[in-house]
Amino acid sequence: MIEVEHLSKVYGSTPAIEDLSFGVQPGEILGLLGPNGAGKTTTMRILAGYLPATSGTAHLAGYEVHTNPMAVRQRIGYLPETPPLYPDMTVEGFLHFVARLKGVSSGDRRRQVNSALERCNLQEKRQVLIRKLSKGFRQRVGIAQAIVHDPPAIILDEPTVGLDPRQIIEVRNLIKSLAGSHTVILSTHILPEVSATCSQVAIINQGRVVMTGPLENLMVQLTGGTGYDLEVSGNAAEVQQQLQGLPGVRLIEFSPPQPGQGAGSRDTQTPAADLDLGENHLKFRVVSEPEVDVGPQIAAALVGAGLGLHEMRRARASLEDVFLKLTTEENTLVEADHPANQSLSEQAEEAA
Amino acid sequence: MATILRNITAIYRKELQSYFASPLAYVIAGVFWLLAGLFFVVILQTVVQQVSSLDLQGPQPVDVPYQIQQSFLSVMGSLALVILPILSMGLYAEERKRGTLELLATSPITNWAIALGKLLGVLTFFVTLVLPLLVYEAIAFSTASPPIQPWILLLGHGGLILLAAAVLSLGLFISSLTESSILAAVLTFALVLCLWIFDLIGQTVGGPIGAALNHLSLLKHYTNLLQGVVDTSSLILFTSYIFLGLFLTAQSIDTLRFQRS
Repeated sequence: MIEVEHLSKVYGSTPAIEDLSFGVQPGEILGLLGPNGAGKTTTMRILAGYLPATSGTAHLAGYEVHTNPMAVRQRIGYLPETPPLYPDMTVEGFLHFVARLKGVSSGDRRRQVNSALERCNLQEKRQVLIRKLSKGFRQRVGIAQAIVHDPPAIILDEPTVGLDPRQIIEVRNLIKSLAGSHTVILSTHILPEVSATCSQVAIINQGRVVMTGPLENLMVQLTGGTGYDLEVSGNAAEVQQQLQGLPGVRLIEFSPPQPGQGAGSRDTQTPAADLDLGENHLKFRVVSEPEVDVGPQIAAALVGAGLGLHEMRRARASLEDVFLKLTTEENTLVEADHPANQSLSEQAEEAA
Repeated sequence: MATILRNITAIYRKELQSYFASPLAYVIAGVFWLLAGLFFVVILQTVVQQVSSLDLQGPQPVDVPYQIQQSFLSVMGSLALVILPILSMGLYAEERKRGTLELLATSPITNWAIALGKLLGVLTFFVTLVLPLLVYEAIAFSTASPPIQPWILLLGHGGLILLAAAVLSLGLFISSLTESSILAAVLTFALVLCLWIFDLIGQTVGGPIGAALNHLSLLKHYTNLLQGVVDTSSLILFTSYIFLGLFLTAQSIDTLRFQRS
């Protein structure tokens, strides 16, 4: 549906994006992830036909963005960084205007506008002047504007920026509901947003794609395997002795016994019950070789050794880890960002 | 062709709607009508006084309605030149400031269509401003005997609208150069002043330079139309100014996208 090949854009002498290539299949949601200034907005503007690329091609529904701009413009909905709204128009009037502009025939216009209003939950505000809307509603009008002509491809530049948490969830659900019938590209620098809404992710940094692919694969690939988070009563040396020998186990990482989120799983909430850990409770993560599920063996080994197993769950590397790994050059920086992680030996020494 | 027309109408309707919602439009209309009414009364009185003082010197045929019409429309022309920059200042500058230009530029519509739709919109607003003036004139000229020839009236107002279209078209271009409405208004006004000055120079300086300036002067051709002189070169000049403005606007919006950083 969307094919980007070797796309580059140079402003004066500073390159904004260099040799960018990625693709999105019909019906997928691609998250364009990158730190601020990575070139996300530039990429989206090129895709929307707003900016010409310096070199490379971008195809949208089979049409080249630069050589066939009108055909492309008919087939996209685009929400720029700041929603393009006329403050003196009513929500409904504005959507009618955009529908007319995008070439929706007069017979379909009312129906399309109504369905956009409905999808974005704007029915109550249809007669309100845009000037009087709150930020969240304006953002929704911005999205409504992008979907009013029911385009096959939708480009959303930071769709949830500036919204409150409830609105963010609403907007994400809205975006998820677009998948299937629409191809969506959204950009963000907020990591959970990608894991919450997207099926595909392209991580860009300093104008280059560092990684692209389905979200799940990406995380497995980058963390070099799966693992388990465990909570066990016993001492570290004993645990280590039991688990080190198991086939497939690569590393055991102990977290300090303080309350808070476990290392590398910041987006999962830690229950309050963890606050009163017993004295000899240990929390740790077992990292296994890729493609090996060591869950049953771990459980068997711990129970067999008479250690109390309190909690065990499959650990998913958070996107944050992946992201930091990709966008920071030295690995030391990644580790510096995780002071909670301590090597096994140190921990064992303390315990002993 | 049909799509282009539909696009132009979409922009046109949006522009017209925006005048209904804009306090600035009402203020401009109010001030324009107030001043126009004032000038009309003053001109009416002055001409009547002139005629009566001429009468004392002996009977001379004076075309009073024609005199009134001509002085009134030439004053209206000057008033329009002051007001037009205010009308055109926000046409693109506001779009740039609000980021809505990005919406227009990513919609299946050409820069030409946008510019033309906007020009037609603002011109319609100006025509709305001029229409009530016809009522004043109708009342005053209804007593004229022999009755004033309607084509002179028509020509005069047509000329006023052509003059406005030419100035608005240039104002449209200037508005597309900046994000600041005020700057656009000031620059357009400066351009109008230049036109005025060129007109004056053209009148005073003889020779080829004077002739050239006279040919290019919007005001000169406007005055010709007011006097009932229809010259195709006037019409061509006005349309050339309008096209020049539209062309430059379309180009400037295109360039904007290329150099945006």
